[in-house]
Amino acid sequence: MSAIETGTSQRPGLAALVERFPFLPALVILLALLALNGWFQPNSLGFRAITGLISTYLALMMLSVAQTYVVYAGDVDLSVGAILSLVNCVIIVLMERWGGGGIAVLMACALGILTGLACGLLNGFVVAVLRLQAIVATFATSIFFTGIALYVLPVAGTPAPTIYWRTYGGRFFEIPFVFYVVAALAIVLVMATRARLTTQMLAVGDDAFKAFQGGLPVTAIRLKGYMLCGVFSALAALCITGDTASGDPLVGGAMTLYSVAAVVLGGTALSGGRGSVVGSVLGALIIGLISSLVFYVGTPSQWQNLVQGLAILLALMLGVMVTRRVQR
Amino acid sequence: MIRTSGTLVAAAAALMLTAVGSNAQDFTIGLSNGWVGSEWRTQMIEEAQEAAQKWADKGVNVEVVVQSANVDVPGQIAHVRNFINQGVDAIIINPNSPTAFDPVFAQAKEAGILVISTDAEVSSPDAIYVGIDQTAWGAAGAKWLAETLGGKGEVVAINGVAGHPANEMRVAGYRSVFKDYPDIKVVNEVNANWDQAQGQQAMQNILATYPNINGVWVQDGMAAGAWRSIMDAGKTDQIAATGEIRKDFLDLWVENNLNSGASVNPPGVMASALNVAVLMLQGKELKTPATAGQYGNAMYLPIPFIDKDNVKEIHAQLEGKPGHYSYTSSLSIEEAEALFQ
Repeated sequence: MSAIETGTSQRPGLAALVERFPFLPALVILLALLALNGWFQPNSLGFRAITGLISTYLALMMLSVAQTYVVYAGDVDLSVGAILSLVNCVIIVLMERWGGGGIAVLMACALGILTGLACGLLNGFVVAVLRLQAIVATFATSIFFTGIALYVLPVAGTPAPTIYWRTYGGRFFEIPFVFYVVAALAIVLVMATRARLTTQMLAVGDDAFKAFQGGLPVTAIRLKGYMLCGVFSALAALCITGDTASGDPLVGGAMTLYSVAAVVLGGTALSGGRGSVVGSVLGALIIGLISSLVFYVGTPSQWQNLVQGLAILLALMLGVMVTRRVQR
Repeated sequence: MIRTSGTLVAAAAALMLTAVGSNAQDFTIGLSNGWVGSEWRTQMIEEAQEAAQKWADKGVNVEVVVQSANVDVPGQIAHVRNFINQGVDAIIINPNSPTAFDPVFAQAKEAGILVISTDAEVSSPDAIYVGIDQTAWGAAGAKWLAETLGGKGEVVAINGVAGHPANEMRVAGYRSVFKDYPDIKVVNEVNANWDQAQGQQAMQNILATYPNINGVWVQDGMAAGAWRSIMDAGKTDQIAATGEIRKDFLDLWVENNLNSGASVNPPGVMASALNVAVLMLQGKELKTPATAGQYGNAMYLPIPFIDKDNVKEIHAQLEGKPGHYSYTSSLSIEEAEALFQ
């Protein structure tokens, strides 16, 4: 009797836990991947390696957070990579024009974030106000943003001011700068989870019609989602500029679909209505750790793409299976 | 307990082996390739792996570890960081960006790792470039075209990806040549993204718009597409166009006696870079330091050229190879040694 009782009481407990923290499966996968990486290459768990992992994937983390805010409401943004490229080029060119001093860097960053906001506003306008299909409309704006990026910086180059990338790659009080960024991001995300806008976006994603009938300003909420997405894409650009110390009008193109994958890996439903930004951050790290692991286990080069793809698929399946079982 | 001590013994043995091995010259070289969309890249890696094996005859054991997958720029930065974690002696990279690797290459150098880029130049002062000069590659094709046309006529250019550094350098290369031929008129320049089908389509549009063109400057796989359109339009005898280096195209070239000429960007560049890397790891110094190119860190390899004089001979050399096999060349160990003091 008691066994059955604990059995029944544990199950809803776990279910409630996953319901409350949809990123739990992703966290478990992440820890498993960390352990596997450490098993095959002990150096990969060293302090320097972890710092390297964070500074490499911080941009993808930010980009995945950006993507999450539109996915919440059941939309998608295929232009996040292009926004990242554009902001990267804009701040690089501005910092160079303005001489690369401390104030110039800060002003360029501020303008970069505004650029991201403007891109998000445009996306939100065509998707939420003009009601074009999100997937096609943002694909079109991605080509448009890439075009502007190529106009701003026709060919990759132009180094970032030393002060910029030395700060990003440097340490303060013995702790790498990127760790502070992660801490700040964590605080912002936890606060955002409790914000009313998040609940509203999830409500729209769950059922836009009901949300509308319930009196929610659906168009404005979706628009705000795209604006948030633009801002976080710009923050991702600031990170990538720190890690690459240069401008490249094509740098973000390949990152868009990785951001979508990270969102789903993190336990957010692409149909909207359920998910968490924390999960997306973990999802970005999962993608990074999978590709390292594929190398550390010694996969022959001609199979690396295949194995990496299968591993991401496996991680997706695990996450989805857990979530489904819990929801049942 | 027994297992732990066993592992310890194994670790100690491995340590001793590495210690002994370093006397007999053991090098681990990491190869990073960030795009696997073409057979050319696969051939590049295979040739580098073969080149590594050839060092065994010289008593040098070169172990090659490869990371090759479609990755974005941060993904390839992660390649480099993985190599650093693994403790390789040298990294040879076909980079996805010319400038984005400066900070991570600096970290590699700090860790005592030699970094060489190939196929595309990088701006990092902590790396050198071993490969062909893409500007000269573009110029060679243009020079052939200008001379074949007798220095006059209407020409179009079909380019790769706008903003891609290799493309921009090749474009600069042909522009610098055509500038010296006042009677050659470049009537249009289009981008076909290094895609054979897009090249074919672009050529169709060009033939419809400019029925009187005499020459086409076109790169890589797009050349095969462009030539298909030229042949379909029945203008094989009236148009001279640059070609490419895959066996499929050379078949077409020889069978139809095309008026073509092709600059060779050999997939063997990574093998050449590997031989240079091993010699540098042995502590040898280049006779002329690698200071060429826009970033002042390049060492340029010769660019072979295929035209009507040697196309039959080269075509015969590739007999029996698969259609996607590219004509190649690379520095042999001896040729590389000749570049060092």
